Amino acid sequence: MTREKSARALWLINGLTLLAAIIFLSPVLYSIWMSFQTSDAYYAGGVDFTLRNYEVAVGQYNFARYLLNSVIVSGIVTLLGLSFATMAAFAFARFEFRGGNLMFGAVVATLMIPSHITLIPNYLTLARAGMLDSYAGLILPAISSGFAAFFLRQYIRGIPRALDEAAYMDGATPSKVLWRVIVPISKPAIFSMGLQLFIAEWNNYIWPLVAISESDLFTLQIGLARLYRVNPGEDVIDWPLVMAASTITILPVLLGFVLVERHLVRGITMGAVK
Amino acid sequence: MSSISLRDIRKSYANGPRVLHGVDLDIGDGEFVVIVGPSGCGKSTLLRLIAGLERCEDGEIVIDGRRANELPPQDRNIAMIFQNYALYPHMSVLENIAFGLELRKVPRKTREARAREVAETLQLTPYLDRKPGALSGGQRQRVAMGRAMARDTSTFLMDEPLSNLDNALRNTMRTEIKTIHQQLGATIVFVTHDQTEALSLADRIAVMKDGHLQQFDTPAAIYDRPVNRFVASFLGTPKMNFAPSDAITGWTGRRGVEVGLRPDTLRLHRERPGAASIEARLTLTEMTGSEVVLHCQTQSGVMSAIAHRGQELPAPGDRIWLEYDAAAAHLFDMQSGARV
Ligand SMILES: Nc1ncnc2c1ncn2[C@@H]1O[C@H](COP(=O)(O)OP(=O)(O)O)[C@@H](O)[C@H]1O
Ligand SMILES: [Mg+2]
Repeated sequence: MTREKSARALWLINGLTLLAAIIFLSPVLYSIWMSFQTSDAYYAGGVDFTLRNYEVAVGQYNFARYLLNSVIVSGIVTLLGLSFATMAAFAFARFEFRGGNLMFGAVVATLMIPSHITLIPNYLTLARAGMLDSYAGLILPAISSGFAAFFLRQYIRGIPRALDEAAYMDGATPSKVLWRVIVPISKPAIFSMGLQLFIAEWNNYIWPLVAISESDLFTLQIGLARLYRVNPGEDVIDWPLVMAASTITILPVLLGFVLVERHLVRGITMGAVK
Repeated sequence: MSSISLRDIRKSYANGPRVLHGVDLDIGDGEFVVIVGPSGCGKSTLLRLIAGLERCEDGEIVIDGRRANELPPQDRNIAMIFQNYALYPHMSVLENIAFGLELRKVPRKTREARAREVAETLQLTPYLDRKPGALSGGQRQRVAMGRAMARDTSTFLMDEPLSNLDNALRNTMRTEIKTIHQQLGATIVFVTHDQTEALSLADRIAVMKDGHLQQFDTPAAIYDRPVNRFVASFLGTPKMNFAPSDAITGWTGRRGVEVGLRPDTLRLHRERPGAASIEARLTLTEMTGSEVVLHCQTQSGVMSAIAHRGQELPAPGDRIWLEYDAAAAHLFDMQSGARV
């Protein structure tokens, strides 16, 4: 390819990327813009800037509390889910033990079970344990991610075993090998898995809906859904209010993504062996 | 104190054939032992058994007088240098070197001082803050050495630590390792497939073949009295010449054996000498520095000899005579290859 051609190709790629970005971002930006309008101005087609929608969402509809609940639940699910998945992945990747293959097969098999099938058994179990309407009830069913364990195990298998061995020779116990060698090297995989777990839990709707009836424990998604039914008698939905609530729902995730994005870089195994 | 004894070590990998067939080895405190043998003969396996990285189910490993079979590697207090270095990619050079001390709860100040000291002797000071990915092969090798040296141990295992280096660096590091051995007075078990390395480094050499220990002795003893034909041909360059005694002109020694003649014991003549000699035609010459290797065709096969550069050298194609000393010849059984 000549220089000129490749320069033109670059322009084309940049242009297409920009276009895609606009297409994906416009509804988000539009809803954020809408959340700052009074509903009168919105329905009249005018422009009238206000913060009132946020005041209502937080003051009248308790969204600050829902936000806190979502942060607590998704945060703990992510931390615990990652810890368990990492330890399981290390065990499956590095140790031979009786029933190991069978257990790994079982972990993989859970990937094929739709979450809706486990809904009722989980509900019955937690009901019997008296954990409905509690943070524990929201968190416990989500902390064992078969996919995370599988994904991290594959990643760890790609790390040269000689690094583990070097650490053992340096005096490390298996848990030191995991936390001081394997985990730091797996950082990109762990962060991207963590992001996935966090977003999945953040967007989880069905389980909180089933497990929680106490409104103080509602997560953002439940709160959001209930906004649609606030004024059942009237035939208009207060869209600017819904958009303010939606913005409260998505902003933390965007923020979180920006924070961890730099950790999602390519692997750092380079230079380990040879 | 750090002595290592191996008693009748046998090892097979899961679903694999047996790779070690009963190896006995007694390594004394402060001794530099080189395990040498062709690729795949089980050297690394033996080293990893000593390290505890492979399970030893058959035979006994005794370290410092205590059975160590069941001891996990982290409890053996042995430092190891891996062939591919295995540096921690997420740690700086300093952290790599100090990690072993950190794991043993040496305070930060002490361990960093120790790591800096080791880095200084290995000329790594300018690179202390770099990650292994930003180092050259030779620098990585030195970090691997440093990681082992910083440890508070007197037993070192090295698995072909020099094989990834270029020639000049290899020679420097060889001297370096020898110096370290003298300074630390450490017990070193060094694996290589390179016989030159073995001869130049070892207090004693263990020669292996196909999972069997062939001979365990000083370099001089192994060179001068190889126990069998394999050991004789494996150590020494150029290789020892072999011919059946019946095919050697003027042979007056024992008959019906395989005769081994080291190239450096053959004396070159341009005219037929009075003493017993083998007639040969020079096929090519090979300069190695101060010496020239002569490759010849004789009636008992291809042979090589060594000439000094001061000598007037024949040209390829010339007829020459190689005078041998029957008393300096090595004799091996025709069938078993054992020394007779
Ligand atoms: N982890 C393993 N699993 C199965 N076979 C192995 C393993 N490691 C080495 N081997 C085999 O054992 C034999 C000896 O290997 P090794 O000890 O690495 O030899 P060397 O270091 O002398 O080259 C070889 O035939 C090799 O293929
Ligand atoms: Mg090897």
